[in-house]
Amino acid sequence: MRVRQIFQFTYCLALTFLLVGLLSEGPAQATIQGISGISFTLVAAPGYIKTPEGNSIFFWGLGSDVNHVQYPGPTLILNEGDTITITLYSALPQPVSLVFPGQEQVQAQGGSQGKVTREATPGRPVTYTFVAAHPGTYLYYSGTNMALQHEMGLFGAIIVRPAGFDPNAPTAYGTSDSRYDREYLFMISEMDPDIHRLVEEGRYSEIENADVFPTYYFINGRNAPDTMAPAFAEWLPTQPYNCMPLMHPGERLLMRIIGAGRDNHPYHFHGNHAKVIAEDGRLLSSGPGKGADLGYSRFTISAVPGHTYDAIFQWTGREMGWDYYGHTSLSDPIERGELAVTATLEAPLSAGSAQVTLGGQGEKEFPMYREVRCLIWSKAYPSPDKDPNREVVKVKRASGNLFTISRGLEGTTARAWSEGDYVAITDHGRPFPVVLPENQNLTFGAFYSGSPYLGNAGNLPPGEGGLNPFSGFFYMWHSHNEKELLNNNIFPGGAMTMLGILPYNAPIE
Amino acid sequence: MKRDLLLFLAVTAFSLLSLTGAWGGVMVQCPEDLDGDGVSDVDLPHVVCRHLTGGDGFTVMADGRSMYIFGFGDVTGMPADQVLESGILGAQFPAPTIVLDEGDDFYLTLTNVGMLMRPDLFDPHTVHFHGFPEVASIFDGLPESSVGINMGSSITYYYHIAVPGTFMYHCHAEATEHMQMGMLGNLYVRPAQNSLPDGTDLKGFIHHTGYKYAYNDGDGSTRYDVEYAIQMSSFDPEFHDADLNVQPLPFADMRDKYALLNGRGYPDTVLQGPILNKVNGRNSQPLDSLVHARQGQRILLRLSNLSVTRYYTLSIGGLYMKVIAKDAKLLQASDGRPMSYDTTTVTLGGGESVDVIIDTAGVPPGTYVMYATQAQYLSNNEEDYGGMMTEIVIE
Repeated sequence: MRVRQIFQFTYCLALTFLLVGLLSEGPAQATIQGISGISFTLVAAPGYIKTPEGNSIFFWGLGSDVNHVQYPGPTLILNEGDTITITLYSALPQPVSLVFPGQEQVQAQGGSQGKVTREATPGRPVTYTFVAAHPGTYLYYSGTNMALQHEMGLFGAIIVRPAGFDPNAPTAYGTSDSRYDREYLFMISEMDPDIHRLVEEGRYSEIENADVFPTYYFINGRNAPDTMAPAFAEWLPTQPYNCMPLMHPGERLLMRIIGAGRDNHPYHFHGNHAKVIAEDGRLLSSGPGKGADLGYSRFTISAVPGHTYDAIFQWTGREMGWDYYGHTSLSDPIERGELAVTATLEAPLSAGSAQVTLGGQGEKEFPMYREVRCLIWSKAYPSPDKDPNREVVKVKRASGNLFTISRGLEGTTARAWSEGDYVAITDHGRPFPVVLPENQNLTFGAFYSGSPYLGNAGNLPPGEGGLNPFSGFFYMWHSHNEKELLNNNIFPGGAMTMLGILPYNAPIE
Repeated sequence: MKRDLLLFLAVTAFSLLSLTGAWGGVMVQCPEDLDGDGVSDVDLPHVVCRHLTGGDGFTVMADGRSMYIFGFGDVTGMPADQVLESGILGAQFPAPTIVLDEGDDFYLTLTNVGMLMRPDLFDPHTVHFHGFPEVASIFDGLPESSVGINMGSSITYYYHIAVPGTFMYHCHAEATEHMQMGMLGNLYVRPAQNSLPDGTDLKGFIHHTGYKYAYNDGDGSTRYDVEYAIQMSSFDPEFHDADLNVQPLPFADMRDKYALLNGRGYPDTVLQGPILNKVNGRNSQPLDSLVHARQGQRILLRLSNLSVTRYYTLSIGGLYMKVIAKDAKLLQASDGRPMSYDTTTVTLGGGESVDVIIDTAGVPPGTYVMYATQAQYLSNNEEDYGGMMTEIVIE
C-alpha cells in the first residue's frame, strides 16, 4: 500500500540522519540523553510537538526556558546520595507543580500550597529538594490537575546512578546482575489531540478528561518513525530524545521502561525475552547480597502508568539450528557471540566414552532434558575453529552435571579429551535450513539486508532495503496493542522502534 | 453466484500465473518429502512440517452477524494443486493451532492465496512466532526487517524449537490491519520433561510415562491431565465492514465490540461442533473453548491475548487458578524456589501469555464460568449475555 512507501521514505530520511550521527564525531547516541548535576531550573510553558504524519500538537512542556520546553521533560541523570535542587518556574495559565515518586526527603519552598505539593505560578517559582537515595529508574510529573497536566506533557524521567558508578563498567544498581553494555530509555505515553486543541483554544470547560481517547502513542516523546531519527534532530526542536537501540550479539542491553501515560501499554520486544531485574527503582531481590534473584523474564512488559521497569535484554542467536553468520565449515572463524554457552570437562574423556561430566560457568545453562549440538576443543586453543581436532557431539543431561554424549558427528572423529577442555553449545558451521523464494515472490522490508546472515549483504532489487548498511538483524520493539502503532489514523507509527543487532565490526556510538 | 465466479477466476488466474513462472506457485519445503505434499515420507523424529495459507474468509459472530476476516488456513499434507482452491476464502479464526515439542525442527510453509474479496489489495503475509527467543530476522516474520510472501507464492520458515512454553503467532504485515482482521493463532511447545524415562525421580516426584508437564519444572509441579489453549481477541465490526467494502479503515477510531475466546463469543464458545459461515458455508471457527475435566484432574489453561486494542482480565467463578508461568517462562526464583501463586484473575495485554493450572481435587462437580471481569465485554456487540465467556465443566 502507498502508506508503506511514505513510511519507508520517512524511515530513509530518519536513518540517514542517524547514520550520519553514528559515523561522525560527536556526542554519543547510544546512551540515554539527559542532563546531569545537582541543581536544575525547569520552566513549564506551552509549545508544539510534531507528529510524523504532519500534525502539530499544542502541549505543555518543561525545559530550560520558555522557548525550549520539550516532550517529555528533561531526563535528569543523578547520582545516588546527592541532594537535588529543582526550581520550577511557570508560564502556564494554571498552577503547576512537580512530584518525585521514589525519591526521599522531598521538600518544597515558595509558590503557593496546592493539594499535593507547593505550586508555581508566573512570577512565583517553587524550589523542590530531595535526596536521590536509591539508584534506579524513576518518573517525575506534575502534582497539579494531573488529569489534564499529564496529558499535556508535564512529566519526565529520572535516572539515579549507583554509588561508585563507573561509565566504563556500568551497572544499574551496583550489582553484577545489573551490569550492562548499553542502556536505552523507553518512556511510553499517549495523547488525545482533541484535548490539546481545547486547551490551545482556551476552551477548558469543554474538556472531559474521563473521556480521553488517545490516537497518538509515543516512545520518549516521539512517534515512529521519528523514534529512530537522531536525538536532538533540528526538525524536532521540542522532542529531543530518540529511541534507537543498537547492540552487538552477546551484549547486555539495559531497558529502562517507564509507563508515562494514562493507559497500560504491553511493550513487546522481538528477538528474545528480557529479564526484569527491578521495578520502581528497587532491585527485585529477596535480601542484601542476593542480587535480582526474584527477577523474571518476559517477552512483553506491561508498562503501567507511573511504573518503571529495568530489564536486561541479551541476544546470542543461541540454538537457532543454523549458523547465522553463514559459515559452512567448522574451520571458518568463530565470531563473537557464536559460542552462546561454554562449559568445561570436569574429567578426562576417552575416545570411547559415552558419558561426560561438565562444569564451569555454562553447565547450569545446558537444557535439562534435551539433546544439544556442541563442539569440543582443546583448552590449548581459544576457540574451536583453531583446533583442527575439534569434535562435533550431541550431549544430553542424564542427571546433575553428568551428560550422555553422541560422539564424532558431522565428519569429525571421536577423540580423547583432557580435563578443562571446552564444550560449547553452538550451531557453528551448520547450513541454512531452507531455500528462500525468488525475489519476485517477495516483498522486501527496508531493514532487510538481502541476506539471512548477520553482516552479510545480499542482492536486493533496485530500490529495496537501504536502511541496514551494516547488514544487521532488526527487531521491532513496540506496543502490542497494535492500535497504538498509529499516528492518528495513519499506520504505521506510534509507540514503536526497531532494535538493531549489528555485527561486531559495525560501530555503535 | 458472483462469489463462485470470482473464486473460479482467482484460482484460474493464480494457476496460470504459476505456470508462467512469473509467480513462484505453491512450494512446500519439508525434509524427506518425496511426493511434494509437504510432509515427511520417512519417519524423522523431531521434524514437524506444517503448511498454512494466508488469505481471507468469513466468520459469524455469536449474535449472527457475518464478519469478514483475513486469516490463515491449514493445508498441511494437501497436494500442491489443491492448495489455492482450499485456501481461497478458507481463512480460519483463530488460525490453526500449532503444537510442538521441545527439540523439534519446525518447517512452516506459508502460501499467500490472496484476498478474494479485496482484489485491489496485493498484501504480502508473514508468520510472526510471537515470543520465540533468539530467532533470526529472516524467520521473525517482521516485514520491515525481512520479507513478506506475495500472492500466489510460498515461503518456508524454519525454527529450532529450543524452549517450551505458551507462545502465539500472527501475521505481522501491516500488523494493525491484518491482526484486527483476524490473522492470530494459538501456538505452544510441550517440554522435553514429558519424555523422561519411566520412574525418573524429580526431587521426590516420580515421573511415569504418559505424565505431561507444562514446563521443565524439575519437580513435577506443572504436571497436568488436560490442557486447553484459549486465546483472547476482539473485533471491531466497523473496521471489518470497512475492509470488506473497500472503505478507508477507521484505525484511530477502532473500538472492539466483540470480545472473543478462540474466535467465538458466548454462547458459541461452549458450542461443540462447527459454526458454518453464511457466505461459503466453511467451518471457519472450528475451536470451541469448553473446558472438560473429571474431578481430581489438573487442568492446564494456556491463555494468551492478541487483541489489538485492549487488556482483558479473566476470572473463574468458584475456582482458583495457580499461575505457573508468564510469557512462556516458569515462575521461579533464580535459586529454583517456585514463585507461582493462586489467584482468581489473570490480566493480559496484547502479546502476553500466562499458564495456569486448576487443581480440581475436592472441587464439586458442576459447571463453572470463566469470564472477562470487565463486564462490559460480556456482550456480542449489542446483544447481552455473551462476549468473552466460556464454561468449565467438572464431572
